[in-house]
Amino acid sequence: MTQRLAATLQVTGKELRETLRDRQTAFTTLVLPICMYPVLFWIMAQGFLVLQGQKERTEVHVGVVNQGLLEDDLLRAIDQGPEPGTANRLVLVDLGFQEDVPPGDLLEATSGVGEPQGPPLAGVLSFGPNGAHLHVNRSEPKGELAESRVTKRLAQHVGQLREQAAEAGGHAASALEPLYLERVDVGPESDKGALLLATLLPMLLVTMCVMGAFFPAVDLSAGERERGTAETTLLLPVPRLWVLQGKVLAVASLAMIATTFNLLALGISAEGLLATILQGSNITINLPWQELLAVAPLALLFALFVAATLTATSGMARNFKEAQAMLGPVQMVFILPAIAGIMPGIDLTPGLALVPVLNVTLAAKSMLLGKVLPLEYALVAGSLLLSAWLALKFAVRLLSREAFATTSATISWPQLFSFLRSDGDASR
Amino acid sequence: MTLDTNTNAPAIHAEALTKIFSDPERGKVAAVQDLDLACNYGEVMGLLGPNGAGKTTTLRMLSTILAPTRGRGTVAGADITNDPIGVRKRIGFLSGTTGLYPRLTAEEVLQYFGRLHGMDEDTLGQRLEVVVKAFDLKDFLSGRCESLSTGQKQRVSIARAVIHDPRVLILDEPTTGLDLLAASDMIRFVESRREEGRCVLFSTHILSEAERLCDRIAIVHAGRVLAVGTQEELREDTGEKWLEDVFRAFVARADHSPEQAADQPQANITGGEPHK
Repeated sequence: MTQRLAATLQVTGKELRETLRDRQTAFTTLVLPICMYPVLFWIMAQGFLVLQGQKERTEVHVGVVNQGLLEDDLLRAIDQGPEPGTANRLVLVDLGFQEDVPPGDLLEATSGVGEPQGPPLAGVLSFGPNGAHLHVNRSEPKGELAESRVTKRLAQHVGQLREQAAEAGGHAASALEPLYLERVDVGPESDKGALLLATLLPMLLVTMCVMGAFFPAVDLSAGERERGTAETTLLLPVPRLWVLQGKVLAVASLAMIATTFNLLALGISAEGLLATILQGSNITINLPWQELLAVAPLALLFALFVAATLTATSGMARNFKEAQAMLGPVQMVFILPAIAGIMPGIDLTPGLALVPVLNVTLAAKSMLLGKVLPLEYALVAGSLLLSAWLALKFAVRLLSREAFATTSATISWPQLFSFLRSDGDASR
Repeated sequence: MTLDTNTNAPAIHAEALTKIFSDPERGKVAAVQDLDLACNYGEVMGLLGPNGAGKTTTLRMLSTILAPTRGRGTVAGADITNDPIGVRKRIGFLSGTTGLYPRLTAEEVLQYFGRLHGMDEDTLGQRLEVVVKAFDLKDFLSGRCESLSTGQKQRVSIARAVIHDPRVLILDEPTTGLDLLAASDMIRFVESRREEGRCVLFSTHILSEAERLCDRIAIVHAGRVLAVGTQEELREDTGEKWLEDVFRAFVARADHSPEQAADQPQANITGGEPHK
């Protein structure tokens, strides 16, 4: 056992050293996360601010039917937005008397009414016995802006009218509401942040782990064939199973390193982005390091599963390029269940704890929310261990085949099935 | 250094060794068929044959890279089917396709193989000193293999193959792709191994190499051994003077009467005593 462990670790050490000396892998695993997330998030935050600013600066024109019949206060409440050049400006355009034309048609007909005198209308506002009618085209960005600005200002105006009426009658404003609903959120803001993280982090964990294992897996299997060192490896005076265990362990280690680096970089740079996006919401975002450490053992088992699967799959390819093409769909097999896992309403149950990938996403989500589910977590660990073991067997059976070292062609699907049906050469 | 090979058993022994590949287009293809071979310590034996004759497949089976479809073989006392790891521990194998790990330094490659051969750090250090001196590796020992010249790579590869001081060397066309000087170094290396009492089995299609190095030659053609013997025995058998003509004569004989060719060498030459 000691000899086996020592040999496996020798192989792992050699593979790690060799892989990290590859510029592409080192860049993808270590450099990219450190540089990419802060830069990406800074760009996203800036983009968000630019878009928000652009939205606020957009001037919206709304046509008013029969404007002469309306009270000045009402018109001022809507039109009296910020001055030209400032944010959220709404300009009313008098459309005169339009008794026979429905406002919807009017909007269509007058969408270019201002031209060349002015910009097109984003909405048409009309007033009748049953209240106000606003016609907008929501498929147009300005239509949505018109709706939101008119609705907000009308509501403010109605509120002011109610307050004035209440004051005149000596009541509280709320007394004039048919039913007054007060909404109170007792949830701590930190919990809301935790929920957000518990939704996003498990998916990111799976995605980063798969991405982190990608290049090393290709490099240590198809890369060996491409570099002409597969035969050299088969000459090692230890069982091929040990060699493959060492390789899979190296890929899993690199996947974990990549995931850790990614999470660190993400944690450091996400705070700034979320603070920008969630400004005014009071939600606090703190990476739950303690809970993440609790997730680590499951993540390690998952990394072994991913490493063995990707290594075996890329071993069927004859070169790096072909392996990359092969791993594309396999990556999706891992990532799609992870995305499904963040959907609301899907929680960890003993049944779902047995479904690979989905189980690790749900378990991580539960752990990050501080839920204690010993049975489910144990089932997830067992399921991941079994998946990793099966994937390792698959990898061993495939990569220990002499075809791995001796053929320069891609292993075909019939050959693959034939390999899997027959006995492996792992003991050789 | 002279090796104590206090045994009468041949260093390499193969009996009815056969390898059949499944080819999607051609079906079952016998790359090697019923091959018998015996090679002793202190002997250099050459497998001589054209490309596709089955030389590489034979050497790969003997070095346990490939498993034989049927037949038996032992190398340095270890069975190639039942004890492949034992075989790999006892042999040094080198071919044009046993590349060096490009991102490791020459020293790291040697250490890696040494450690996996179970050598402790002291022994490994001593062996490193020996091979570094023997193959003059000092100047590029800390250089990554990818940055070495072809000749330097070849020297590191040889060092890698002998880091554990194996009693048997199996070399598959070891001079292919080498320049004149590097090829000459390789030939001198093989000769030195013989002087140390080790067994060297190597394949080649270069007749001059075979003439210079081989104590005995096995002529391989279409997956079968057509003849095995000393150069004198083979010349006598065919009545030809030059090794090239000897080779042609055996191939012509085999092509003319394949069954006869398949049967004859067994009694004629292969079963004979290995050269001492």
